[in-house]
Amino acid sequence: MALIETSGLTKHYGPVKALDKLDLSVEPGIIGLVGANGAGKSTLIKILLGILTPTSGTATILGMDSVRETRAIRQVVGYMPEHDCLPPDVGATDFVTHMARISGLPRTAARERTAEVLRHVGLYEERYRQIGGYSTGMKQRVKLAQALVHDPKVLLLDEPTNGLDPAGRDEMLDLIKRTGTDFGITVVVASHLLGEIEQVGTYLVAIDAGRLLSAAPITTYTARTPVLAVEVEEGSDRLAASLTGRGFKARLDGDCVLVAMEDERLYDAIRDTVADLALPLIRIQQERGRLEDLFRDGAPSIGAPSIDGPAEGSVQ
Amino acid sequence: MSATARTAPAGNIYDLGYRHYEGKRHGRWYAVWSLYVEGMRGVWGFGRPMTAKAAPFILTGLYALPALIQLAFSSIISQSIATGEASARDIATYSDYFAAASFFMVLFLVAQAPELVCRDQRYHVLPLYFTRALGRADYAFARLAALTTAVFMALMVPMIALFIGDILMKPDTLKAIGDEWPRALPSIPASALGALSLSSIALALSSFSPRRAYAAVGLVAYFLLMGIVPDVIFQVGRHAGWDWADKLMTLNPTGAISAAADWFSGAPLVTTGRDGGLPATLGADAYVLAVVVSIVVFTAVLLFRYRRMPA
Repeated sequence: MALIETSGLTKHYGPVKALDKLDLSVEPGIIGLVGANGAGKSTLIKILLGILTPTSGTATILGMDSVRETRAIRQVVGYMPEHDCLPPDVGATDFVTHMARISGLPRTAARERTAEVLRHVGLYEERYRQIGGYSTGMKQRVKLAQALVHDPKVLLLDEPTNGLDPAGRDEMLDLIKRTGTDFGITVVVASHLLGEIEQVGTYLVAIDAGRLLSAAPITTYTARTPVLAVEVEEGSDRLAASLTGRGFKARLDGDCVLVAMEDERLYDAIRDTVADLALPLIRIQQERGRLEDLFRDGAPSIGAPSIDGPAEGSVQ
Repeated sequence: MSATARTAPAGNIYDLGYRHYEGKRHGRWYAVWSLYVEGMRGVWGFGRPMTAKAAPFILTGLYALPALIQLAFSSIISQSIATGEASARDIATYSDYFAAASFFMVLFLVAQAPELVCRDQRYHVLPLYFTRALGRADYAFARLAALTTAVFMALMVPMIALFIGDILMKPDTLKAIGDEWPRALPSIPASALGALSLSSIALALSSFSPRRAYAAVGLVAYFLLMGIVPDVIFQVGRHAGWDWADKLMTLNPTGAISAAADWFSGAPLVTTGRDGGLPATLGADAYVLAVVVSIVVFTAVLLFRYRRMPA
């Protein structure tokens, strides 16, 4: 069964189109939801949760309609909002226990689950202290804990690494990855950082200005591409010109020359050209696809970086 | 049940295994009940720092103080009444107590009603509720029920003190309980109605600001204006011959509640005398009606506010 399915999903805020006829079908896993700020990620999540009503179209999560079966959805979904959502004057234990009870867990079970989940997210002695005194990283963990406490089938995380330093970011991503892979909980991570999704995700959904840019397993984006990168210490412009002269599609990319692998003689030709020009060769490597290419130029192309495209952007 | 034990690969996060929860899950009414309990704890400051307990307990103490003093000196008072030095009319009774001490009850609401609704807005806790089993109306009703219960408890403290005091003033305790009981009983529905009325006003007004301070100022302004403006218009109207002005007096929430208390106890209203007082043209039932209408209106405002609240 598809995890999330939307068809013709549209949401307008006055004249602003947050989502524009979004059609989507996603299988369970760790799903990265990527888009620039304002692309419609939060809107999509809120519609799935049933706290926003779509202007038109439908959305289902685990086969349940987001408008008609809201209560059933909320039983099996955990939500971590993008913004702060913690009162400062209670301890993490009290707060998460309270949220577990609001989710329907009996008193004792709520306490046990709270202890377990807070331990899981890495909060120990400090969990009795007031949340107001926590660091951003600890607050993010409490936010994740309250989303996990009722053992949902699906976690919807909206920008979970917001405001974290690099170390905290890695810890949070690791936590998300383990939640998804070890516990069998499907995780939807909304983020504007591709690198994060690349790190944890199994599936990528890219949206831009409310429209679906692409949706496919992460591996299809990062697979080997039919492009060879030739790096030389100097004279890359001469190499590119020479290769073009030999009838290959070559393009300059910084100190690298990118050549389309259309011909089996390419390796030999590169060897000969480099030798002829007496260039100091560093490496010859088959290029991998990069997620950034998705958003390059506004022209989505899955997998292969375009030979003809402009050459900005670098792998994070 | 799947339990996986592995060592953590990074940082200080140790994974001791995760177990899925297979136990019972309650539904919506349990969520409402849990929010109600949390609200009650919040109003009285339980589970919060000591400073959070100061306001509700001190203000309840101040509100009950006259009754407690009367209780402490009940034997002396009963002697004075017996010797004729004091009149039985000089001591506080169940139905006129609120009118005399309502200032502290209003302060209690100013301090604690924003605590219940502003906090959740200010720190954006509402989305966490609204993405769980709770509906928006459920939230509003749970909050209203929590504050009403808390205010009812605070209102009943001096009533109980008066009851004990009245019993201690009598020579025969057992007989006194039997005698006093019917007189004390109306204070229960009167307090309940008063608590609901005050709570609905305070919550509805507080819910419009996420900032506690602004909500408190708004509440003070409302209670002050409603205490002064209708009275001024009524007094002017008496001389100017505006016969509609008397009805404005029902707009004063504390005045209407104390008049409603008289309706429950059957005590006569203190109507227009030398220095003002309530209009003679209105019976106690008018105030009861006014209190009920106010409850309906402010509860509707509260529900409307939460229906429109973005999550």
